[in-house]
Amino acid sequence: MKPWHKRGKGLILGRAQGEALVSLRAFTFAHGVDPSTGVVTDVRSDVRGMNVKGKILFYPFGKGSTTASSWFLETVRQGNNPAAVVTETVDLSAVIGSVMARVVYGKEIPVMTGVRRTAYVGLKSGAEVFLDAGRGEVRAEG
Amino acid sequence: MHLDSAQEKALRGELGEAKQFAMEIVSKVGDAVGADELVPIKSAHVLAHYSSLHDAGVEVLERFANSGGKFAVPTSVDPASIDLQNWKSFGIPEDYARQQLRLCDAYAKMGGMRCWTCVQYQVCNFPKERDVVAWAESSAVVFANSVLGSRSNKITAGMDIACAVLGLTPRFGMLLDENRQAGVVFELGLKGLTDLDYRSMGFFIGRNAGACIPSLDGLPSSVTSDQIKHLGAGAAAAGPVTMIHFPGITPGSKTIADACGGEKVEEIEITRSSLSDIESDLNQTSELPDLVAFGVPHLSVNELGELARLIDGRKLKKGVKMYAYTSSQAYDMAERTGITATIERTGARISHSTDAEISPLKALGFNTVLTNSAKLAEIVSSEGEIRVGYASQKDIVERVTS
Repeated sequence: MKPWHKRGKGLILGRAQGEALVSLRAFTFAHGVDPSTGVVTDVRSDVRGMNVKGKILFYPFGKGSTTASSWFLETVRQGNNPAAVVTETVDLSAVIGSVMARVVYGKEIPVMTGVRRTAYVGLKSGAEVFLDAGRGEVRAEG
Repeated sequence: MHLDSAQEKALRGELGEAKQFAMEIVSKVGDAVGADELVPIKSAHVLAHYSSLHDAGVEVLERFANSGGKFAVPTSVDPASIDLQNWKSFGIPEDYARQQLRLCDAYAKMGGMRCWTCVQYQVCNFPKERDVVAWAESSAVVFANSVLGSRSNKITAGMDIACAVLGLTPRFGMLLDENRQAGVVFELGLKGLTDLDYRSMGFFIGRNAGACIPSLDGLPSSVTSDQIKHLGAGAAAAGPVTMIHFPGITPGSKTIADACGGEKVEEIEITRSSLSDIESDLNQTSELPDLVAFGVPHLSVNELGELARLIDGRKLKKGVKMYAYTSSQAYDMAERTGITATIERTGARISHSTDAEISPLKALGFNTVLTNSAKLAEIVSSEGEIRVGYASQKDIVERVTS
């Protein structure tokens, strides 16, 4: 894989490092991720069976239930949350989930947006990703 | 985001612990999404069901309630994970019910309306055009923005309670005129729509609108508000939809040009094959189900009446349970008007104050569910454990009764 570097907008600031988990479809934690394991269960997800724990999670936008932020928070409570979230358009449930993680469990989960789905193509799930939401930067080593 | 002096006081804890907790959440979310200020809301709608809030959510709601949190505006609540009146007879395990009842107590302590429904706009929470509200429940947010002309972002769990306690919400997203414009038009090239078509159509729109606000052209004037309710629920289940412009119905959108602000946007045709593709995606099995579930979102009393007429005189086949989910208010009306008796004579039951997608279906021993709700079909299959069939109410009744 070629070195990969994109700019976006930091919503919840902070830095994170981890393996990429890249979905090109609408994504939700609500009924779609098992909080007790971090495994994606959604049959309509292209990353079904993968684990969000510790990952830099990429998806274009959210879908579905407004309970998504509480499913997100439960993955945090059980220690199975992603390290950071990157989207194309703002997914309010990721923003709210991350804020709740901060105020309830003191955990920092940076959230970035504005990284287009078409740019995910050069990035493979499993690549090591470095993210700095404060600088609006996300990159992967070749 | 700018905070005025009273809001600064709340953040410093001078107005009590609950408001401080709420302001911490609301100000951080406001900053994250680039809101300029907090604006008053006319009402809130919040979540308090155990299946989705989990233990983390019980912690959050009890923290609000036990630190003196009270709702500052009229606040309604989504269904619980158990039938609050009859949960024992539905076989709900005691320890599961206990966690739900903790959420109920915390919610009641904060002064919310005990409606336990996802169709609060048909029951107890009626904002008018241009009213700003902070609502959870994706299907209700679509109804508020698209039919009532009220303004709500899709407020998710945790933030919902915080907004209700403050009576405020950050101004961004769907509260601003410029973000309410349609960016894609769906052209309905079909006649003779069935009830199921509206649900599949919603799902098709949600899947194909991307992050744009859709407009739907060509709805027949015969469309009912219940059909729009199910259309919106399907759309919100499939994608990030918060509003659909229905020209002639949505306040401010008399025409497609109004909806799109005069701009030329992408057009997508909805054909018979668009809908049959959705049907075959949602319909994973044609086996005889353990459970037939109607009412995601909750059935209105009119819909209960339709079900009663359809099913009158029939008997459920052995091994099949049929639950029709509704609000407590529609439940009461159905009882008084004989609808309940007609439905229950067949072996089916009406369940109120809860809903199928947030019930512990697996723990209740259900392995296959058959429904006419695109939203339920999407959600149940997402958890990956239960097989789902998707068909019209009429077909379902034919299949599971004699």
